[in-house]
Amino acid sequence: MFRLNLKIALRNLWKNKVYATINIVGLALGLTAFVLMILYINHEESYDKWSPDLKNVYQIREKHDFFTPDNKEHWNEVSNSRIANLIRTKLPQAVAVTKVDNDWSFGSGYSVKTDNADPVMVNKIKDSDSSFFKVFDYQFVQGSADQALENKNTIVLKEDLALKLFGTTRALGKTIKIIRWRDDKGDLFTVTGIVSEPKTPQSVHFSAIMRTGNKDRDPDEPTNNNYCLMFTKLNKASDTLVLNQTLQKLYVDFRKNLLKGQEEDYEDMQKPKKLPGLKVIPLATVHSNPPYTLSWFEKLKPVMAISAFLLLVSIINFINLATAQSVQRAKEVGVKKVLGSYKSQLTAQFLVESGLQSLISLFLCIVLIEMVLPAFNQQFNVALSFWHNARLLVLIAQLVGLFVFVTLLAGLYPAWVLSNYNPVAVLKGNYENGLRGVVLRNVLVVFQFVISVTFIISIGVMEMQSRFMSSKDLGFERGNLINIKTNYEDNFAERLKKIPGVQYVATTTQVLGNSFNVPEEIKYKGKPIKLNTVTVTMDALPALGVKVLQGRIFSREYKSDTVNTVVLNEAAANLFGKNLIGQTYQKTDWEGKDNIFQVVGIIKNYHNEGFDKAVLPTVYKVTRLGGTSNTNNLLVRFNTAQHKEIISKIEKEWRMLYPNFPIEYNSLDDAFSKVLEENRRFMNMIVLFSLVSVSLSLLGLFALSTFVAKRKTKEIAVRKVLGASNIQIVSLLNKSFLILVVVANLVSWPVAYIIIKKWLEGFAYRIEVPFIPFAAATLISVIIAILTVSIQARKAAVTDPVNALKYE
Amino acid sequence: MIQLTNIEKYYASKGVKNYVLRLVTTTINQGEFVSVMGPSGAGKSTLLNIIGMLEEPTYGNYHFMGEDVTSLNERKRIELYRNHIGFVFQAYHLIDEMTVYENIEAPLLYKKVGSAERASRIADLLDRFNIVAKKDLFPNQLSGGQQQLVGIARALAAQPSIILADEPTGNLQSAQAEEIMSLFKKLNEEEGITIIQVTHSEKNAQYGNRILHIADGLIKEDIKIQA
Ligand SMILES: Nc1ncnc2c1ncn2[C@@H]1O[C@H](COP(=O)(O)OP(=O)(O)O)[C@@H](O)[C@H]1O
Ligand SMILES: [Mg+2]
Repeated sequence: MFRLNLKIALRNLWKNKVYATINIVGLALGLTAFVLMILYINHEESYDKWSPDLKNVYQIREKHDFFTPDNKEHWNEVSNSRIANLIRTKLPQAVAVTKVDNDWSFGSGYSVKTDNADPVMVNKIKDSDSSFFKVFDYQFVQGSADQALENKNTIVLKEDLALKLFGTTRALGKTIKIIRWRDDKGDLFTVTGIVSEPKTPQSVHFSAIMRTGNKDRDPDEPTNNNYCLMFTKLNKASDTLVLNQTLQKLYVDFRKNLLKGQEEDYEDMQKPKKLPGLKVIPLATVHSNPPYTLSWFEKLKPVMAISAFLLLVSIINFINLATAQSVQRAKEVGVKKVLGSYKSQLTAQFLVESGLQSLISLFLCIVLIEMVLPAFNQQFNVALSFWHNARLLVLIAQLVGLFVFVTLLAGLYPAWVLSNYNPVAVLKGNYENGLRGVVLRNVLVVFQFVISVTFIISIGVMEMQSRFMSSKDLGFERGNLINIKTNYEDNFAERLKKIPGVQYVATTTQVLGNSFNVPEEIKYKGKPIKLNTVTVTMDALPALGVKVLQGRIFSREYKSDTVNTVVLNEAAANLFGKNLIGQTYQKTDWEGKDNIFQVVGIIKNYHNEGFDKAVLPTVYKVTRLGGTSNTNNLLVRFNTAQHKEIISKIEKEWRMLYPNFPIEYNSLDDAFSKVLEENRRFMNMIVLFSLVSVSLSLLGLFALSTFVAKRKTKEIAVRKVLGASNIQIVSLLNKSFLILVVVANLVSWPVAYIIIKKWLEGFAYRIEVPFIPFAAATLISVIIAILTVSIQARKAAVTDPVNALKYE
Repeated sequence: MIQLTNIEKYYASKGVKNYVLRLVTTTINQGEFVSVMGPSGAGKSTLLNIIGMLEEPTYGNYHFMGEDVTSLNERKRIELYRNHIGFVFQAYHLIDEMTVYENIEAPLLYKKVGSAERASRIADLLDRFNIVAKKDLFPNQLSGGQQQLVGIARALAAQPSIILADEPTGNLQSAQAEEIMSLFKKLNEEEGITIIQVTHSEKNAQYGNRILHIADGLIKEDIKIQA
């Protein structure tokens, strides 16, 4: 029976090649988007799961506002290094605690020298302590977890790096020199272990773990803090709720002790409503809980919704066509019923047919995925693979599940409709007039068009927002400006200034691509104001090319600029009030001394982060008064667009001064592109999805119109005999579909409006919801719908009516 | 075998009952060959459909092989189709996607007849109806008469005790019609299969041994034909 059903299913597919192709291709498209997403989710889900041993590993998180992008408190991944010792001594469950460097986005690489070779930049060499491999279970190809980092100045390499540096993984005992910053004299490290790359990605991603000794001790001064990542391995997997209560108590005591004898005591510290906190989270949840940004899951939600929608649309097409076609199958159903078939047998038969189609689609989808995966990986900066998958079995199980799901969803309704045909009605020959499924079919067509139109509108708005962002006045001149990844050093800066074409050389802690926020609170006319402090050199603001709104910016002519003057940005000025120039404010430093600052100028806000973030109220100062901060930004402004020559001269100067460390720089144009990139990527993805969605809708509409045209052959013939023109017939067929498309547009306008508004609200700098994309989407959808339907309608209209009538 | 008592069938439209059958009472015994005749729209097909349990009467009693049909559930009815009733249609109603062989095989599959038995029965039928050469063809590759032969072979495959045929020769030329009628007569006489056919042709009706004349939903005449 099953074999016969399969055979008949194949014959039916062959007979209705066009429908079957549309069904299968459509479903394959929908599946491809969905399976790609599954691959991506699997990848993200697989973080930190390479060893069962990792179940007992926890990340330590402290609640504080240091280094946070918005200067507010967060549960940070980087914690005060003293906490490691606290846990080691006070938490009996802790078997091991390790401290390790965080990834800092800027200045990530170290220069590595082996023997006489040229220095190479290597990213992700991290400093840790002797416990690292006691917490994280890595497979040692050479050396052992127990002994590898026993001594200072040892290093454990991943196989890849060993191969890169030595051409072999047998590198035990060899020494390398690591130069960590530009004028570091470098330290020698002995390779004491080689570990293999685990099967799954890791949140603490490294190319090598070294032990400099810095992570072995904490700063002596209680007010000096080191921040780093910390992980602990417990003797068993524990209830974090209970554990975290214990930790919180330990932590409060620890803070009190630490601050004892200091001016600022614990009670004081809590005054500005700061609640310190300490907790651990299981390693497995680290990747899905980043401290400031949305987790991958949250980020992916819209994409998941979209790909689920697309799959749904392709299934809808499938259902639509199957029910539309069911008329042709009605006779078979009727006959089989009088031959003694149970309804369940018929249902099974039709399910076999949809199963067959979804199976073919699934294979097609796998082929498609193999084809698009390289582009996908590049676009989204991931390394997904279908076959070389750490969890291939899981994936296969997921695909089988998907197959069953799609088959049931796509096949059940048509099977139900078909197997319910009443044999008498069918055998009497008047089964065609059944309106069954027509309403549903129309609803489904409307639904897919709602999705497509919403996509088209979204693309329009996104494009307009992108244009707005890329042409937005940044508040500084990004052309002819580069940022060298190094701190300001007079000797080097002076040499650069002598190069013809170099206009300014300066440093600032706030520039697009690398902004470092230091929060502070000041008092102005008795009113406390929270500001972000940026330390600049005299030339930094002119180098950036900021716009002065009131007063002046720093200049060597004014002695006071190295004493106590500051420049505010507009956002900060707004917090102060009017008539600011010449006014002073107070800032109490950590020693309790009041410093007085004078405002000399106000500049226009300039963008130093993505457009999703509002420019922070910021105070700029050259003076060392009240402390300074520093980060690796060396701005060089050219007064010509001919960069190549200047840059090569800069590189020459660099090599002379710092032979052991390669130069790294980027242009502000690149930094700006990078800011736009994430959005650009998101948009590319939406465009891709829209293309799939729109083509699915059109495939569906095409198939349905083909079908309707075919069914109406006789009606058309009769009308033609009665004198209808071709155009009248084409418009007759178009009318019913056009109504659906118009209804879809009416539905999608408010839907799109809500989604778009929400999306735009994610930007601190955005356009108003524009009208044009809405009108355009409606126009586009109507035109392509008419074109699609007309192809079939015309065909039906021009056929000779005699042929149609003869066969009745 | 078949006992109809006061069968009525009407379609209500706008509050008016349009009677198709009125107070039809008759008995058809095992081994009879009955021809139902009457003008178009008289209710012949409706009567046959009711006998075939494809339609339900609005009122009245129907016993098939001693069982009250009105109280039969769907499973039971399907069992009757599988084991006792064979249908032959004017429009043949072969399944287009199946070959001749598969069409004849279909009822046997539903009846769960073993494969060896199935093969021998089908071979037998193909042989008997002289369509062995056509067994791998699809219905649209056959003439109308050949299609109807396949239709009958399919009806016979499950070895039913009764065949219901609604104008089986309505679409056929007279030579082919005669062939079909002789076949029915032979099946009735040699194998004792009960046959009920609807026909417009007085000549075809003569192949049977009883004629029911229906007009306006009533049995006007019930004639026994002496062989
Ligand atoms: N579903 C229906 N609704 C209303 N009237 C019907 C329906 N089916 C059949 N009829 C009517 O029943 C009458 C008998 O039909 P039928 O039994 O097919 O006649 P015939 O004797 O030609 O086979 C016809 O007048 C037909 O119009
Ligand atoms: Mg009839």
